[in-house]
Amino acid sequence: MVSDSITNASIHAAPNNNNAARDVGKKKRARSAKLKQCKLDVRREQWLSQGAVKNKDCKAEQNGVVEERKDRNNRHPFGNLGMRPGGGENDGSIHHHHHHDSDLDSNSPNSLTSSVLGSNYSETNFTGSSSSSSSSSSSSSSSGGCCSGNITEDDEGGGDDGCLDDWEAVADALAANEKPKNPCLESPPEHDPIAQSGSPQETTIGSDGPSFGVENSKSQCARTIPKASGNGLAWRPDDAFRPQSLPNLAKQVSLPNSNRKHYGCGGVPWAYSGVVSAPSTCPICYEDLDFTDTSFLPCLCGFRLCLFCHKRILEEDSRCPGCRKPYEHDPVEAEASVHGGSLTFRLPRSCSLITRS
Amino acid sequence: MAAVNQDNTLVVATTTAPSNSKQSQPRAKTVDSQSVLKRLQSELMALMMSGDSGISAFPEEDNIFCWKGTIIGSKDTVFEGTEYRLSLTFPNDYPFKPPKVKFETLCFHPNVDLVGNICLDILQDKWSSAYDVRTILLSIQSLLGEPNISSPLNNQAAQLWSNQDDYRKMVEKLYKSPKA
Repeated sequence: MVSDSITNASIHAAPNNNNAARDVGKKKRARSAKLKQCKLDVRREQWLSQGAVKNKDCKAEQNGVVEERKDRNNRHPFGNLGMRPGGGENDGSIHHHHHHDSDLDSNSPNSLTSSVLGSNYSETNFTGSSSSSSSSSSSSSSSGGCCSGNITEDDEGGGDDGCLDDWEAVADALAANEKPKNPCLESPPEHDPIAQSGSPQETTIGSDGPSFGVENSKSQCARTIPKASGNGLAWRPDDAFRPQSLPNLAKQVSLPNSNRKHYGCGGVPWAYSGVVSAPSTCPICYEDLDFTDTSFLPCLCGFRLCLFCHKRILEEDSRCPGCRKPYEHDPVEAEASVHGGSLTFRLPRSCSLITRS
Repeated sequence: MAAVNQDNTLVVATTTAPSNSKQSQPRAKTVDSQSVLKRLQSELMALMMSGDSGISAFPEEDNIFCWKGTIIGSKDTVFEGTEYRLSLTFPNDYPFKPPKVKFETLCFHPNVDLVGNICLDILQDKWSSAYDVRTILLSIQSLLGEPNISSPLNNQAAQLWSNQDDYRKMVEKLYKSPKA
């Protein structure tokens, strides 16, 4: 019913030689690809944020998530500044649009035009808000649902060969999604040293860093890791006489990571990214790491293990299995304070889930 | 998660106890052996999945704490084409303590004595609980081609090492295939 009314709107508007309406119609066509992309975005976001919905409000309020926001194409700042009011407008205009639609059949061409304008206005508005925000705040996802419905009707109303066009739009949207993301991901300079620092353990920390969501810990990681790579090797300089072909501990530790990605995926969906970047089982006892364990980084070399194996090692020789250096107690305490509340590190995880999708 | 916590608290309880030795021993042993069991089973899986060439290991029939391993001499070494059988015995506090690894096949090597004891630092003071059967066997395999001449267990082998051709002849002469 609504789609019919829109078809009527576009068809009737043209014979009326109403320039505004025609322009609007053209714009509409030109934007249809963009709109579809938005629709895709919104649906994807909805789908992805299902797991994160519960935590949204807290997330928006967290001031420490600056890094997250940079990573996320500046979505969150927009989401905070413009999204709430924008979302409100969207809802308003969309409802407005719907109301006019329902009135269309009986109304004059003028009102048709205005309703088309109105609908287009709402679309434009939505385009802006969705591309800039794509955030997972509840207002955006609810308005997203509304808009996506609206857009679907528009497509049908436009008389396009919907099926083919949809697939093209999917391809377009995917391509358009790829392009803006890449420069943004590369742009933050603090990512580069981590990415280039080579050893799999370091990248583990590096990629886990943003998921902590606290700028301090993140920058700390970035600073301390290169240092650690110098002397945090499995073989110390005094081991130089050893055959070079001996297996390296770093390699050994990294192996389980890649193997267990799929395993971790099935377990707890919203912790997916955390599981990917850190081993999901303790390399010592092979028990599953819980969230306290995965956020526990006892040694600068990046070797992770469960709290119980760590405690046991502390009671015996107190050396890190990864680098054989005596454990220092400072990093442990720092970690503990950062991750005092379980909420603190749950939220960034769900954030980073969206980033990496 | 609850199961892990429960299990781990038990481990903690027992690891603080060893000073009482005798009384707490049975309980400590069962909990420890459970965690060792899990670790060894996981290692076996990983080893079978890894598909490393030239090394293999499998538990003995009735005791997962005793494994038999085989190492094939690497290419371009004097041990090329020879196969050696080893025994690995895991302590109850493995992997916090290293397993005892011995050659069961006679191995003419500077760092292996006549009864098969191996002088390899990672099996002694350089042990790390992050090592496993796979890395041990790979380490021994590379030790074959790159012995530490400065602290030999087999002096004759250490002296002969400089002459690789003669050494190869000696290896062939002394070698008895474990399959034979």
